[in-house]
Amino acid sequence: MTGSRPGRIWGLVARQAASHRGPVSAGDACAAAVAAVEVTGAWLSAARGAEADHLMRATDEVSEQLAELQLTLGEGPGRDASTFGGPVLASDLGEVDAVRRWPVFAPAALQAGAAAIFAFPLQVGAIRAGVMGLYREQSGSLSAFQLGDALIFADTATLLLLDAQRQAAGEVVGGSGPGGQPADLALHRAEIDQATGMLTEQLGVGIAEAFIRLRAYAYAHDRGLSGLARDIVARRLRLSPDPDLCQDG
Amino acid sequence: MDGELLSETFVELTDTMVAGFDVIDFLHVLTDRSVQLLDVSAAGLLLADPRGELRVVAASSEAARLLELFQLQNHQGPCLDCFRSGRPVQAADLAAAADRWPRFAPAARRAGFAAVQALPMRLREQVIGALNLFRAGPGALAPADIRVGQALADVATISLLHERGMRHSDTLNEQLQAALNSRVIIEQAKGKLAERLGVDMDQAFSLLRGRARTSNRRLSDLAQAFVDGSEALTGPAAGGSGQRRADDGQLRQPPRPGPRTRS
Repeated sequence: MTGSRPGRIWGLVARQAASHRGPVSAGDACAAAVAAVEVTGAWLSAARGAEADHLMRATDEVSEQLAELQLTLGEGPGRDASTFGGPVLASDLGEVDAVRRWPVFAPAALQAGAAAIFAFPLQVGAIRAGVMGLYREQSGSLSAFQLGDALIFADTATLLLLDAQRQAAGEVVGGSGPGGQPADLALHRAEIDQATGMLTEQLGVGIAEAFIRLRAYAYAHDRGLSGLARDIVARRLRLSPDPDLCQDG
Repeated sequence: MDGELLSETFVELTDTMVAGFDVIDFLHVLTDRSVQLLDVSAAGLLLADPRGELRVVAASSEAARLLELFQLQNHQGPCLDCFRSGRPVQAADLAAAADRWPRFAPAARRAGFAAVQALPMRLREQVIGALNLFRAGPGALAPADIRVGQALADVATISLLHERGMRHSDTLNEQLQAALNSRVIIEQAKGKLAERLGVDMDQAFSLLRGRARTSNRRLSDLAQAFVDGSEALTGPAAGGSGQRRADDGQLRQPPRPGPRTRS
């Protein structure tokens, strides 16, 4: 569906990128989320394999401090979001539960000026690309609408982050240029996930790489991701380990 | 109806306070037990995502899961009507329901279903999803079965929304999102296993679930380990890559409730 909610959010991310005249990046998704979700600041860290998180973007000093504190202390909502595989919504860091959960981080975050932190894993199933964190000076839950938007910002950041890894390796990636909105991550995607799993075997690659190759193939052959995935799942199409097949033609 | 299984099921559906509670496992209990207890041949479950969409989170078979997806993709069907209205929706004969759901009704019949009953997952004003019950033969579900089905859905809903020591909407949302991602991991693992063994997605899923049960692990943890490559799954019994034989063929029949596979 065009004019959809992910479409609206992609527009906000693209506008953010236009303000610095650069290509759209995951950092833009993080920065655009601040105003849209009505939080004070945000940060985004990328996972680098087994390495610790790498801070890619922080919209203010407090955000940067929050990201660094978690890295130093080895605890916090962002850490938990990566491990747990779902968002961690800590709407009041002064609450007993929060302090019990993060005995060192929670008081330090309050001290730094954050009363609430909402951490979103940047993930597609088993693919873990990083974490997006949002904070507020005032405690309080996100509304259902804000939470929905935050999740879509995180989805968008995930795709942009995966594409950036690939672009850094000098390869063609799918559908995330300024005009091309990333395929909607949330909708109707069981076949996409199954096809991604099948490609790990067909191509002999890891799951993140398989997902990137699937999207690159769809982009290079001007095909919808769902239709392509259905063909792979129905075994009407196999991809070859030769990466040239993912290029045009 | 199996009274003993029914009471065991109610116990299972209220048992959410344990450590390592897994929403996906929990919702699969709901769909599986619905099929075992009620006069239906398949069940599927949709839950609302804060992104503003419904998502398929559990199904008793691949056919039911695909039909749930079909409803989402085509924006029509009993589960959607049920979710939007918060009320039960039924079609005793899908052959006569082509006006109501021009795309869904033929698709359901092609999948081998003749009748459908959708039940809301609702607590007061909050509708969190819907349970779809599919029948192979035409005819309305008996009123007693509808009552029991609704009771199972109600108990599951209350358990999910249960105050668990934190603001319950935050907790539910955290769990739901983690569950949705677990679902993605499971689909990725199914694809990988199906390709490796040359089996279909249904068989791959049965194998995954069977292995999770016999090794007493959460399905999503096992799927993650398999996708990451830290676990082979095709083990000594199945030989390894390229073998077609399933190691646990009998697990296509869901076992009776016993100790839950939790770690």
